[in-house]
Amino acid sequence: MTQVMSGAGHHVDASTLLLQASSVTMRFGGLTAVNNVSLDVHAGEIVGLIGPNGAGKTTFFNCLTGLYKPTSGEVRFAGELLPPKPRLVVRAGMARTFQNIRLFHNMTALENVMVGMYSRTKTNAIDAVFRLPRHRREELASTERARELLDFVGLSSAADMLSRNLPYGDQRRLEIARALATDPKLLLLDEPTAGMNPQETRQAEELIFKIRDLGLAVLVIEHDMRFIFNLCDRVCCLVRGEVLVEGVGEVVQNDPRVIEAYIGAPAEPPADVPPPTAEPPASEAGKGSADA
Amino acid sequence: MRVIISDETKVRFRYPARAVGIVGAVLMIVSIFLPWSYGSGALDDVGFYGAPSPLQFAFVVLPVLILLLLAIPLVGKQRLGQWAKTVAWNTSAKTASLATLATVLIGLAAIAIELKGLVNIDVGGFTALVGALLAAVATPFLPDSPEPTLARVKSPTWLQILGIVLMMAGVLFAAAFALNQTDAGAFLTFVAFLVGVVLVLRQLGVMAWIGIAGANNNRVLVLAAFATAFAFPFTQNGSDANMSIASQVLIFAAAALGLNIVVGLVGLLDLGYIAFLGAGAFTAAILSESAFSTLDFHPPFIVVVLISGTVASLLGLLIGAPTLRVSGDYLAIVTLAFGEIFRITMNNLDGNDGPNLTNGSNGIPGIPDLEFLGFNFGDAHVIFGVDIGRFANYYWLMLLVIALIIVVFMNLNYSRIGRGWVAIREDELAAEAMGVNTFALKLLAFAGGAFLAGVAGAVKAHHDVSVTPDQYVFLESAFLLAAVVLGGMGTVVGVLIGATILKLLPEKLRFFSDYRLLLFGLLMVVMMQFRPEGIVADERRQMEFHDEDEELAEEIEEELISHHAHLNPERRGFDL
Amino acid sequence: MLDLFFQQLINGLSLGALYALIAVGYTVVYGIVQLINFAHGEIFMVGAFGAFATWMLLGQPTDWGVSASLLILLPLMLLGGIVVSVTVALLTERFAYRPLRNAPRLAPLITAIGVSVFLQEFVRLFYGRIPGFPDAKSAIPFPSVAGISGEIVRIGSVTIQMPALFTIVALAISTLFLWFFVNRSKTGRAMVATSQDPDTARLMGINVDKVIVAAFAVGAGLAAIAGVAHGLNYGNIDFRMGFLAGLKAFTAAVLGGIGNINGAVVGGLVLGVVEAMATTFIPGQFGSSAWKDVWAFALLILVLVFRPQGLLGAKVVDRA
Repeated sequence: MTQVMSGAGHHVDASTLLLQASSVTMRFGGLTAVNNVSLDVHAGEIVGLIGPNGAGKTTFFNCLTGLYKPTSGEVRFAGELLPPKPRLVVRAGMARTFQNIRLFHNMTALENVMVGMYSRTKTNAIDAVFRLPRHRREELASTERARELLDFVGLSSAADMLSRNLPYGDQRRLEIARALATDPKLLLLDEPTAGMNPQETRQAEELIFKIRDLGLAVLVIEHDMRFIFNLCDRVCCLVRGEVLVEGVGEVVQNDPRVIEAYIGAPAEPPADVPPPTAEPPASEAGKGSADA
Repeated sequence: MRVIISDETKVRFRYPARAVGIVGAVLMIVSIFLPWSYGSGALDDVGFYGAPSPLQFAFVVLPVLILLLLAIPLVGKQRLGQWAKTVAWNTSAKTASLATLATVLIGLAAIAIELKGLVNIDVGGFTALVGALLAAVATPFLPDSPEPTLARVKSPTWLQILGIVLMMAGVLFAAAFALNQTDAGAFLTFVAFLVGVVLVLRQLGVMAWIGIAGANNNRVLVLAAFATAFAFPFTQNGSDANMSIASQVLIFAAAALGLNIVVGLVGLLDLGYIAFLGAGAFTAAILSESAFSTLDFHPPFIVVVLISGTVASLLGLLIGAPTLRVSGDYLAIVTLAFGEIFRITMNNLDGNDGPNLTNGSNGIPGIPDLEFLGFNFGDAHVIFGVDIGRFANYYWLMLLVIALIIVVFMNLNYSRIGRGWVAIREDELAAEAMGVNTFALKLLAFAGGAFLAGVAGAVKAHHDVSVTPDQYVFLESAFLLAAVVLGGMGTVVGVLIGATILKLLPEKLRFFSDYRLLLFGLLMVVMMQFRPEGIVADERRQMEFHDEDEELAEEIEEELISHHAHLNPERRGFDL
Repeated sequence: MLDLFFQQLINGLSLGALYALIAVGYTVVYGIVQLINFAHGEIFMVGAFGAFATWMLLGQPTDWGVSASLLILLPLMLLGGIVVSVTVALLTERFAYRPLRNAPRLAPLITAIGVSVFLQEFVRLFYGRIPGFPDAKSAIPFPSVAGISGEIVRIGSVTIQMPALFTIVALAISTLFLWFFVNRSKTGRAMVATSQDPDTARLMGINVDKVIVAAFAVGAGLAAIAGVAHGLNYGNIDFRMGFLAGLKAFTAAVLGGIGNINGAVVGGLVLGVVEAMATTFIPGQFGSSAWKDVWAFALLILVLVFRPQGLLGAKVVDRA
């Protein structure tokens, strides 16, 4: 596998602090969507971000990836302060997927992945116009790498299909391949299983573990509780733009405040809460609908 | 208005329909040996018995095709074997019949108008009309053929190359023949005939076959195309009038191809693009040896070309750097305003309202012909016994420029940069989030497109002899955009066709020159309603305009896959 | 110097009032369908020709008194212009723009360019074909209206041409009417609702088609008034007059914040004054009137770059 992820496959020191968001606050006019949220992600870790609809999860993501410039607070990546520009965030080593899939619909799967390689390639206009050796070399290498990545997410047979024609689950996987193509150290997934059936969800889970095995850290937003607690080393629960609890799966899972946030006032004592196999009803409603 | 004939009716009437169709085709073939008109003043004289005019000889291709398409299946399915399904016999015969009827009607209308009255149509004309009507009425009663599989027939390389060469020869012949029609009626009739032939060939699957052959023999195709274009002046017997039109078409096409990068690939609407052509032209004029040039610096042309391109691309940067951050619609208006600023400024730099650089509205006349390594572009000379005049020289120069532009266009398109451009067009935000430097790429497209236009402008200055501000009005920008839209955004062939149509038709159809702009406006509106992707559709563009059409999506994908199977990335684009 | 300033201020305001009347049309249509109706300048031109046609149909009266002219002739000409403009605008909406409502944004914009060229050429080629009408291939002298044409008012040393005053008054009355229409009428409020959120508006039972038609009609009506004002101010009308005026009016709409009706009015006035002042107070050769369009367009580019939401602000334009 290491030859697939050429950049990140080397030895991972789990204690390395990768992402360090401190006191991030995002206001839109009078509305505070994210309030004073701090979150750390270490190398090789899978961290989950949960919370009911409108809790500000996607907004927080956008702050991390440079789509929004936080009103206050700072985001550091591998110790460096991140500039609020998506393109520079990608260069720094952080890539994302979108909640409502945003592939380049009229490009083939292979081309989509190759676009992801943009920031890691150097061919300029002169190279391309005159087909200089650098262009040829990079073009061959990118094509090969893109095919490997498609293979990695299980889409090798779909390389020449237009991405708009792919089934829904494959589109999600293609988006992950495209993000991986940017050679990230940290992958941010925004509801990677939204709209998937149980089998597809299981495949997605396996894929994320596989990505972690390559040495990448993953930060994932999800509504599917079983999915998140199976997957994550640590979970952070956001409610109304603020961190409610953060910690290992079991702690968050059994925290009465989390259950209250999802179900409303506790109807039963927390000890009798059903095991995570039963999905909290709020997550049902949340699926598929837009999250601010 | 589509007449639907039920399948049962079609099965019942298939034999009489075929018979009537054959009779119609034979009648039309006979008709060319009869006089079509009484006078000699229409369609280049079609008034003789037994001596068909060149136009009639060309026309007879369609009825012969109909005859073959209808008669060959008579040998029976067994003997046809696989060919029964490879060729869409019946459907093609139907298309051919309708196209023939259209051609005959236009031809007869031309006779009636030019000789003033239907009475001038002679027996041949009526025979052709009756034949065409018979065929057009009968063939729709034939059962529909299945989709032709001709495109998928495996063929040896020599046959593919032969096909490409034959097609190019056909193109050359058709172009020469069309340009030599001085009479508007004859020209229109021939154009109708050409459109008919193209439609029939498409229906037969020949076009798709050629497409695959071309993809397989990419370099042969390109070489053949350029050889054809290069040979064109030899078909003109030194006619300067036609070569002047042809070289104008190429200048216009060069600018349109530059605009195609900006609009077709990146999706930025530029309504002031003519300003870049103008910037190149004015730069070249000022640096030329013209007595009216306002600068005392006259470098050789190769330097002038580079300076012209650079000035244009600097203007592109100047206007692009601040404005490329605004959204699409606004960019259109900003570029439009910029185009106006350019024109007004060129008008005002006359020594009166500003420093004298352009002589104001008089512009810079008397630009001498190009001198290149001792070769003067104004000199006519004889090659292979054919007179090659001044405009032919410029035509060849522009051919070189266009070749350069196409190489730049294709090589950029099939590179990291081209993929970035398409990604921006598809979803700018997602592109940025995937690490694509959207601003730099848009600026590159803007400046690069401007550079190409500037180069074309530099040649245009010498070609036109004089440069004045009123050549660079908004309407010209609209025409360039129309060439791109009409031909097919993002494609090279389409834009070349679009540019040819927009420049050639007004020159050949002088009688409607007064209605030219009216029809142009109408064409833009109608095109956007019914075929927004243009004559030659870029696969991706087509999808954008037909977002909900899943069937089309699959079809295009199939096409893409079949192309990809033949093309490895190495073989796309051109080596220099 | 101060007199010159006030004189130019008045000149600029009347010019700006003309721009403002046209700009409203760009702004309402853009606010609702996000379409830059490139052909709106031609709607203005058609309005002027419609008013002229009304005058022809009235038997080309030249000797009517002041009261008859002001009370009968002028209102009839305005009405004629409005009818023609609105009809043409609604036809283009129905047959050119409506089928493209869900198409990529390039399609309607290109259509608009086509419509613009078509309307210009249509007037140029066919206006003179109406029996008795003058040929429209070159400028046509606009009829004078007694009491306005050629009259002047003096305030101190500042001279105000009556046609200029007419334009300003027309703008004032139109703005008042617009205010009532938008804030008090059912259709007007539906327009505001649709411009803020078309989908919700549709769910709330608003007939969006009707609202779009209303937007085109209102814009066209005001453009027709501007057409008459143009004729009175400059003494002639021309099939080409819509292009530059339309571009300037669009600049005005952007200046005020496109989608914002009050902004269009303010933007028009500001643009007019800037133009008038630029030709007077920019020293040297660049202050000559030959450059005034350049300054106007430079202003457009500056505004778009530095304050794309316009002077008064509007809803967020970039919906990425």
